[in-house]
This record gives sequence, C-alpha cells and structure tokens, in this order.
Amino acid sequence: MLKRTLAVLIALLMIAAVFAGCNKAGKTETTDPPSVDENVGTEDTGKDTQPAAEKESIVFGGVRSQSGVFATFDETAFGPCYRMWADKVNAEGGIYVEEYGKKLPVELIIYDDKSDMATMTRLYEKLILEDKVDFLLPPVSTAFLYATAPIADKHGYLLIGAEGGSTTLLDSIAQYPGFFSVLNFSVTQVPALVDILVENEIESAYIVYIEDLHGTEYSGASKPALEEVGIEVHGMKAIPPDIQDMTSIINDAIDSGADAFLLFAYPDQNFLAMNQAMAMGYNPDVFLVGPGGNFEFIKGVFGGAEAVEGLMSWGGWNEKSSEKAAQFAKEFLEYNKDDPKVSIDWWGHLPYYTGLEMLQQAIEKAGTLDNARVIEVLKSEKFDTVMGEVWFENQLLASECYLGNVGQWQNGIFEVIDVGENRTADPIVPKPAWPAE
Amino acid sequence: MNTNISRGRLNAKKIAPPGLSLLALILLSLLPIFVTDYTIIKINSIISFVIIAVSWSIFSGPTGYISLSTAAFYGLGMYASAILGNHLPLPLVMVISGIASFIIALIIGVITLRLRGVYFTIFTFGLVELLRNLILWLEIKFSGTRGRFVPSVDFQQVFYCILGTLAIILLISYLIKRSRFGLALIGIGESEDAAAHIGINTTLVKVLGFSISSFAVGAVGAAMATRTNYIDPGIAFNMLMSFMPVLMAIFGGMSTIPGPIIGAAVFAYLEELLITKVPEYFMIIFGAIMIIAILFLPNGLTGIAGKLFKRRKGAGKNANT
Repeated sequence: MLKRTLAVLIALLMIAAVFAGCNKAGKTETTDPPSVDENVGTEDTGKDTQPAAEKESIVFGGVRSQSGVFATFDETAFGPCYRMWADKVNAEGGIYVEEYGKKLPVELIIYDDKSDMATMTRLYEKLILEDKVDFLLPPVSTAFLYATAPIADKHGYLLIGAEGGSTTLLDSIAQYPGFFSVLNFSVTQVPALVDILVENEIESAYIVYIEDLHGTEYSGASKPALEEVGIEVHGMKAIPPDIQDMTSIINDAIDSGADAFLLFAYPDQNFLAMNQAMAMGYNPDVFLVGPGGNFEFIKGVFGGAEAVEGLMSWGGWNEKSSEKAAQFAKEFLEYNKDDPKVSIDWWGHLPYYTGLEMLQQAIEKAGTLDNARVIEVLKSEKFDTVMGEVWFENQLLASECYLGNVGQWQNGIFEVIDVGENRTADPIVPKPAWPAE
Repeated sequence: MNTNISRGRLNAKKIAPPGLSLLALILLSLLPIFVTDYTIIKINSIISFVIIAVSWSIFSGPTGYISLSTAAFYGLGMYASAILGNHLPLPLVMVISGIASFIIALIIGVITLRLRGVYFTIFTFGLVELLRNLILWLEIKFSGTRGRFVPSVDFQQVFYCILGTLAIILLISYLIKRSRFGLALIGIGESEDAAAHIGINTTLVKVLGFSISSFAVGAVGAAMATRTNYIDPGIAFNMLMSFMPVLMAIFGGMSTIPGPIIGAAVFAYLEELLITKVPEYFMIIFGAIMIIAILFLPNGLTGIAGKLFKRRKGAGKNANT
C-alpha cells in the first residue's frame, strides 16, 4: 500500500514538475515595464526578422552559473552589473533604436548552467535558436567564454566577455570577429606588477598557482617576466582547487627566503593562504593574491581594514581614479545596498559595466539590432563610459583605457599602485605586519 | 495447433524488443525533418545520456559492480576529439575514441577486477581523478596550457553519429543479454564464488564486460565534445558524468534493457525542463524525485510499469475465467 502511494506520489510530482515547466516561461528577469516578445517559443530557426513596429523590447540572453562552483561569480562579479545596467536603462525609458523610431526597454533572459559546460553551451543554443534573443550576455569564467565564442560566432551574434581573459585569447580571438573582451588580465597586469617589484627593489619571488586556466596563465606569464628583469624565482608550486592546507607550501616559501609571495588563485585558496600565513607569522615584503583580494568584502572576512593593510591584488580602480569612477561606485553601492552578498569589485566591476555601456551605445549608434552592424560600430568607434573614453583594439579593450592593473590595500582603500599616471598612492613595501591575533 | 500458436507467441515475444527498437531508431532518424534545430540539440543530449546509461548497465547492471569510471572514458573521448578533430572526420574520431576506451578499460580491468564490492567502486572513482590530474600535468608540462579548443561539428551530424552509436550499443546490449556471456555476468552478480565453481572464468568475463561497457562511452564523449567547443581536464573528467548513469539506471530500472533507456530519457528531459522553466525549484524537485525513486522503487520506472502490466494481465485473465 505504502509503495503504491509512493509511486502515485512520484507520478504526481513529475506531472507537477512538467506542468510547472510548461506553464511558466523561461526565467525572465524583466525590469519595468514588463516586456512582450512575441517571438519567444516560436518554431522558426532563423534570426528575428519581425517588422520594426512589432518590437516591444530588446532581449538580452545569458547563461550564468547561478548554482554550482561558479555561482559566487554571478552573485558578486558581472551579475550585479548587468542587473543594475538593465534597471538603469529601463528607468531612462530604454535604448533608442533608430530603425524602430523609439526607445525599447531591456529584457533579460538568464538561464542557470549549474556551472556545467555542456549545459551552458546547450542553453546558449536555446537562447539563440528557440528564444531568439537579440543580443547575448557572456557566461562565467574564461573557459566558458572560450566555449561560447564559437557558438555566438556561428550564429552571427556578438559577445562581449566579462569574467575571464587569458593569453590564449590573443591567439584565438581573431577567429571570432564578434567576440570582445573588457577585463584586463595577465597581458597588462603582469608587466605592471613587474614594474612595481623592480621599483621597490624586490630581488626574489615565490609563486603559487591554482591548477586551472587562470593559475597556469598568470604563473606562465610571470616567471619569464620576472627573470627577465633579474628577479629570481625561488619556488613555483601548483595547488588543486580543493586544497585544504597550505602550511607546507608556506613553510617552503619561508625557507626559500623570497621577498615576494605571489599567489595566483581564487578566493578560497587566497583566503586559506592568508589565514595560514597570519597564523605562521609569514609576512614577506610583497604578498599578492588573485581574485578575491580585490573585493571590498575582504576587509570583513579578516576582521577589518588593518588586517589586509599592504596586501596586493589585481585591479584596479577606486573612487580617486576619476570622477566617473567615483560616481559609478556611489551608484553601484546605492543600487546594491539591500543585497548583503554584493560587494564592490575594484578590478572587474568597472570594466564589466563599461562593456554594457559600450554595447548600449553601439546599438544606438548603429540604429539597429543587427549584430553585424553593431559589431562594426564596436570595432570602429570610441565610447564615453564610466571608465572614460574607451575603445577596442584587436577586440580587446585598449590597454590605455584601464585605470589600473595592480592594487594594494592602504587604510581601507584599494589604491592603484601601477607605475605611471594611474597611480593613486605609492606602494607600501615592505608590507606592514599582519595584525596580532 | 496450440503448439503453433504458442510458438508464434514466443517468436513475437522474441522479435518485439529488437523490432520496436529498430522502429524507434528509424523514427528518430527522421526527426530532423520535422522538429526545430534546438529540439535536435536537446535530443542529442538525451541520446548521449541514454547511451551512457545503457553502457553502464551492460556491466554494472547484472554484476552489481558499481562502476564510477564513466567520466574517465567520457573524458578520454573528449580529449581524443580535441586532439584528432582537426584531422579526422567525426565518425572516425568516435571509433578511435571507443577503441581507446576499450583498450584502457581492458588494461585497467586486468589490474583491478580482482577487486570486489566497494573496493572496485572506490578504485573507479579514483581512476577519474587520476586521469584528470595526469592529463592536467601533461598539458601544463608539455603544451603549457590547461585547455583545448574542440573543432565544432554540425549538430545534425552529431545527431546521426550518436544515433548510430545508440543502435550499436542497443544491439550489443541485446546480444549480451541473450548470450552465455550475459548469463555469466548475471551469475557473477548472483554469486561470484558459485559462478567460479561452475567453471566461469569470472575475471575474464568481468574484464570483457567492463571493457565493452566503456566503448560507447568513449565514442559519445568524442561526439559531445564537439558541442562544448572547449575542454580542460576539469570539464572533461567531470565526476557528475560518473554518477549520472548510476542515477539514471536506478531511476529507470537496472535489470532490463528499457530501464536505463527510459531512466536516462526521462531524467535528461526533466533536467532540461526544470532548469530552464523553474530553476528556483529545480534541485528540490529533482532531489525529491531521486530520493523517493532510490528508496522506494528498487526496480525503477520500468518496475512500476511491469507491475501495472502484470496486474492488468492478471485482471484480464480472471475476467476471462
């Protein structure tokens, strides 16, 4: 009897799931006013060709990791930017598109890929073939971007990347003429770091890197760059993403006597290393960590600004970088004030938002939703954004557009310490001691 | 006269499963004419899971040896596609991937299939990690990078390639089920010691069964890699791919050929539907279904169907008498 009841229960659950699915449209994040896209769900396979008069919104579709190991990125990195951008654009009435003779509101269709590559690529094809979105938003992480670029290219869509970037990109980017990248990565950041180390007479370094694309790229770029300027690399250790104990590595770094400890990893590994370095009293002249070190929340993680004083990370920009950057920071904090998960990212948020503004302005300049024409505008025009005047060079944001590449926490501010005009404060080397426990 | 009728029934019973499968495959092959492009892409994903679940159940179903090595062979197939895809056509890459998976499984099987029960399961789990880290090390050491682009292949070509693989694996599964080799696998599952006592070379049977079950996994990994465009060791050797066929086979029912097919198809379809339509409740609904299925449906969905069919038949007989 029990088994029969359970079997019925399962059947009911499955039927309920199917009905729930059939009755509800895709996860549509629509900011006011609610949009109508009559093409969604139709059987045609070509791009949207409906007459101008029928267009009620511009549909932007993206597949983001809203669950699984990359979920933090959507919560804290590009996620808050595209949501804020869509709301801001809609509050202003939408994006003016000449061929329709009016402003069209932005509609977002976002699917969750569970941090799974196969799901992600399949759902992008759903966005293109079934939902027939007008433009694509990028997925999370460099590897996912690499996988999406060929899909976007095949269907004639442009794609402006957000979280992600690596030197491999430089070799392959020309194959995909509609692919653009806005985030600065090792190509500009490693030379900036080397300049800072040389300026501060650092003679040796110890490198630790996560065994993934990010770690491999940054360590691969750093070692020869450091050696070229005479900085000896005393050690180079790879760590797995799920590492739980770094004491042996830190001991090895201590024994090596290196002046700089460079950790090319993600928040989990960076915070673990910092905790254990604090506990072991390891405080080299330079302590640099990768993503996570550039987020405002790091001060809270370690109990206050003094805990991270002198810590370096990739970046960088801050409110002193420019008036527009200061205004963006203010608006960003205001927009996200009720979401405790969101914290300002002094590396990515400005370029991510810039990419969205570039896309918006390119659509307006092109006067059409035709991706090919928008691509041409993106390639040839300059844009006025929160980063100032910016433009693409070989599909990457031109290096002179960035407001900084390396930052250092000083009195609670993530200061830009690049050698040159972007610098907002001189570097503090040697790094002050970790606070006593 | 009666004998002729019962013989006719017996033949019909024998012919029905392969006949129906053949009909289903023919109908499937006509699908691209009638459905949208994205439907084919979705069906590609569903068929690939069906192949993996059927492959897994060829060995693990009858023997009870729970293998978690699917991700290892799937990942090998993906890497074969990334390396060979620029030089060879997809069907050939799939054949090479299948053969490579078969040979590697054969070698691993010879070394490990003396292990029993949980030790075997843990070893297969470790195999995925071993291959992931080995390839990561090789990539960083020799190619200086972490990932590879996989040449993209048209989804319709992928569809026909994996449909062909499905036909092959169904045929293999059907032939094994009806052979002495299949009986030996079942015998091992019932009692390995007893099987050895009656003269079955249990190690040989297990090694061969394990190797055969890995062939199509490698082949389908090669085909599906062309749809992801880019792989690295973490993506290719994803442990989820090892657990999925187990869950699908349990969900559908492990003891029959249709069980893993139905389990994989329903499972993959439900996943796609829930994640795109009700992502907020996806994991809750999915998790609830799986827990209930594992706890209370030992014979899976096909078990329920079988019971209902028998009950109906019984009721019909009673009515006739």
